[in-house]
Amino acid sequence: MVYLPRRLLSIVIVMLFLIVCQDPAKARDWTEILAAARGQTVYFNGWGGSEVINRYISWAAEQVGQRYGVTVKHVKVADIGDVVSRILAEKSGGRTSGGSVDLMWINGENFHAMKNNGLLFPAYTQLFPNYPLVDTENKVSTLFDFTVPVDNQESPWGMAQLVFLYDSEIVTDPPADMRELLQFSQNNKGRFTYPAPPDFYGTTFIKQALLELTTDRELLYTPVDSARFEAVTAPLWEFLDSLHPHLWRSGKAHPKSAPEMKRLLADREIFMSLSFNPAEASNAIATGELPESIRTYVHKGGTIGNTHFLAIPFNSSAQEGAMVLADFLLSPEAQARKSDPSIWGDPTVLALAKLSPEQRTLFDTIPLGVATLSPEELGPVILEPHASWVTAIEKEWLRRYSK
Amino acid sequence: MAEALFKIAVSAMSGRRNRLKIFPALTLAVFLLPILVGLLFTWAPAFGYLSAAGSNRFSLEPFATLLHHPSLPGALRSTIISGIGASLMSLGLALWIAATLYGSRLWSTIELSLAPLLSLPHAAFAIGFSFLIAPSGWLIRSVSPFPSGFTYPPDWTTNGDPWAISLTLTMLFKETPFLLLMIFSGLSRLDVRRTIWVGRSLGYHRLRIWTRLIIPQLYPMLRLPLLAVLAYSLSVVDLAYIIGPSLPPTLAVLIDRWFHDSDISSRFGGAAGALLLLLLTLAGIGSALALEYLISKIASRKILDGRRKSPFELLVGSGSFYALILLGVNVLSLTALMLWSVAHSWRFPYFFPARFSLSNWSAALRHLLEPVSVSALAAFLSCLLAIILVVGCFENEQNLARSRIDSISQRSLWIIYLPLLIPQISFLFGIQVLLIIFNLEGSWGSLIWIHLVFVLPYVFLTLANTYRSYDQRYSYVGTTLGARPVRSFFRVKLIMLTKPILFSMAVGFGVSIAQYLPTLYVGAGRFATITTETVSLASGSDRRVMAVYALSQFLLALTGFLTAIVLPAIMFRNRREMQN
Repeated sequence: MVYLPRRLLSIVIVMLFLIVCQDPAKARDWTEILAAARGQTVYFNGWGGSEVINRYISWAAEQVGQRYGVTVKHVKVADIGDVVSRILAEKSGGRTSGGSVDLMWINGENFHAMKNNGLLFPAYTQLFPNYPLVDTENKVSTLFDFTVPVDNQESPWGMAQLVFLYDSEIVTDPPADMRELLQFSQNNKGRFTYPAPPDFYGTTFIKQALLELTTDRELLYTPVDSARFEAVTAPLWEFLDSLHPHLWRSGKAHPKSAPEMKRLLADREIFMSLSFNPAEASNAIATGELPESIRTYVHKGGTIGNTHFLAIPFNSSAQEGAMVLADFLLSPEAQARKSDPSIWGDPTVLALAKLSPEQRTLFDTIPLGVATLSPEELGPVILEPHASWVTAIEKEWLRRYSK
Repeated sequence: MAEALFKIAVSAMSGRRNRLKIFPALTLAVFLLPILVGLLFTWAPAFGYLSAAGSNRFSLEPFATLLHHPSLPGALRSTIISGIGASLMSLGLALWIAATLYGSRLWSTIELSLAPLLSLPHAAFAIGFSFLIAPSGWLIRSVSPFPSGFTYPPDWTTNGDPWAISLTLTMLFKETPFLLLMIFSGLSRLDVRRTIWVGRSLGYHRLRIWTRLIIPQLYPMLRLPLLAVLAYSLSVVDLAYIIGPSLPPTLAVLIDRWFHDSDISSRFGGAAGALLLLLLTLAGIGSALALEYLISKIASRKILDGRRKSPFELLVGSGSFYALILLGVNVLSLTALMLWSVAHSWRFPYFFPARFSLSNWSAALRHLLEPVSVSALAAFLSCLLAIILVVGCFENEQNLARSRIDSISQRSLWIIYLPLLIPQISFLFGIQVLLIIFNLEGSWGSLIWIHLVFVLPYVFLTLANTYRSYDQRYSYVGTTLGARPVRSFFRVKLIMLTKPILFSMAVGFGVSIAQYLPTLYVGAGRFATITTETVSLASGSDRRVMAVYALSQFLLALTGFLTAIVLPAIMFRNRREMQN
């Protein structure tokens, strides 16, 4: 009785093995990919607005060049949407291979749009030697990018959580939630603002406000329901209506981006700013961009967090090279370096528990940074609402405030 | 259009005796076809056709979406204010400065400072100017905390105001030097000194001499530059990002944003917007021409009224005031950039950086080499091609004038100004698709070609007046002394025109360096130029690094101008008459 199933099992295993071997996509193991990658040139397209990040990428490019013979060219763009546009134009022009982009820095709506329009390379991250180290259990956003299933079509790169920066020389008691933020703005007219959507920091701030204020949070995790949109978002608009007159320039002008807010904070025009990188304040203090007095705080109910990724477009001309680079950027060595606030300070996507002791020491020796909150202080992460809410909220925001 | 092109081609091929005919035909071929196809390919999504987004049928929906967009009225308002305002004001300012200051020492100072003024890239100037006028900027810092009492910057709306006034001023200060350059070059064809002399001896006031005698002769040479400024101001993207209004932004920014929105269906609205911007620009050009017609009608009736006095005589002194402001704002913006590039920290209300550091430069130098060399090479090659085509066209023009032939290709040459008159975003998306279909994007060839498209008209504009006023008799002397016309051209004419040729090349060099959108759309990410790097850093927060890159951009363009000044000085060091 016992004998038969065992035999069956081994037959099944053998058959599975055969199936696996026959499947051309899975037939490629990592050594083959490494071999194919050697000599390739990878055009890595990403936002190039930060010298700190650019320097980190050029370090990674050097490493990948030395170790795997892959040449990495960093294409710095002002907006990754330009790159989505280019890939779209390539698809329009019938370019199904030999595309100009091999790897891109992406997440959220851009991923959603590229996935929906078939602009991404089919699943591949399961092949990465370093992928099993990703903390998919506790960092759900590594599997669901703004609730859209990642399906191994993008490789997790870093974690982000909305934090607020404030000048502790001026503000002694930072607000703990949106209501207190409103109070702060009323008491300090013109000293807070947020970027105008569609800048994603602006959109994130609005989503954070919505998540804090709405009575029906669950609904935000399903595709937007136009019938209930008005009721769900009513508290948000009420809040923004009362907040706007007290904002920087009376809410009649908004900064164009979070980097611009960082400049305004450094210039003392505003007293508080926001960031997606919990270590940004420490990093900016280290480079002299922000004064020593800047500190970080979060709202007490938690703040929005997400993951940013690396994705290979469907028509990349150096897929293997791109995979090798993405895998290297996922390695404990590269992730640890990235999370060092004196280098970049971007939190890791890896699970420290899954690392070997030597690998863990890479992380243990990293200083937290003078203005960075500890993981406990950072508090719970609120997941991003479904990507379809973004468009709906942006549209309504523009209708109300952009005239 | 197709017929005209055909005729040009035929006439170019059949004209065996006149090889120069190839130049206008070639020049037009460089421009006309690609731009037309680019426009068509951009219009396709405007009418609902974008196969990559799975939409293959004709519809007017994109226009409906565009017209109902909440930001459209505000965007149109600030686009019109800044576009029309900046171009009319810069023309007025340039002419006023010329009329009130011509012949003075300040006038020569302006002439000398044109090269650095023109080398300062738009975006770099905007960053500096924005820092100058911001509530936390240099001007307020100069009076803070004493006597203004501001320990924190006041919550004023100066830069990035909703009415686009700061954007208008930025363009005013940036476009006036260009129009002044055109005035200098136009005046070189007129006998201004004797005109003024005659006018004065008849008792006309200085202003009257200009409005009655000089401007009517000068304006035809300023018409195209003015229209180019108008089209540019209506469609500028980078300046509007840096110092334009945010809620809503200008139409060009709105379109640009739609073209790279994560929501792919935004491309439809973007394409429709691009068409609207094109129509707006054409309407602007039409109104400018109508206005010109109206003014010339009214003015021509008055031209012989014999009035010597002008009601504005008392204001003549303001010319030097405006000129000093123009120079001052540019110098201050540049100085602010220089200080930022060596600052470590510089908070409000400090007038000077609290800590200086050279690390911004030393960290950037390693990364600057590649973009600077790519920019320099692309700029040099596109300038070289441009000057060959332009000189060829002028030579052909002179040949035709001699034999009194009116050729279609010659008359169609205005088409080379199309790239200046049509908003870039209204055809770049289409050109990108076109290049991808032919597998040409991201190559040096297409990069230089797209730069040539924008460089050539400027080279043409800046060289036209001096080239056309060349005294052909010098070449005749060469020929009568036994040289063949070709030899006489190379040994006499080209040498005598070295200075203006190099100067127009320097202008083209600067134009090429400044190209952002064309490099982005055609380069496929293969070419990191100093400008693409600067713009991507401008999307970040670090003003110090931005300043380093912006200054490098400035220095590269300035190198072009310095070469154009120094090279002839060395070449003609033994030729006194060629010194000036």
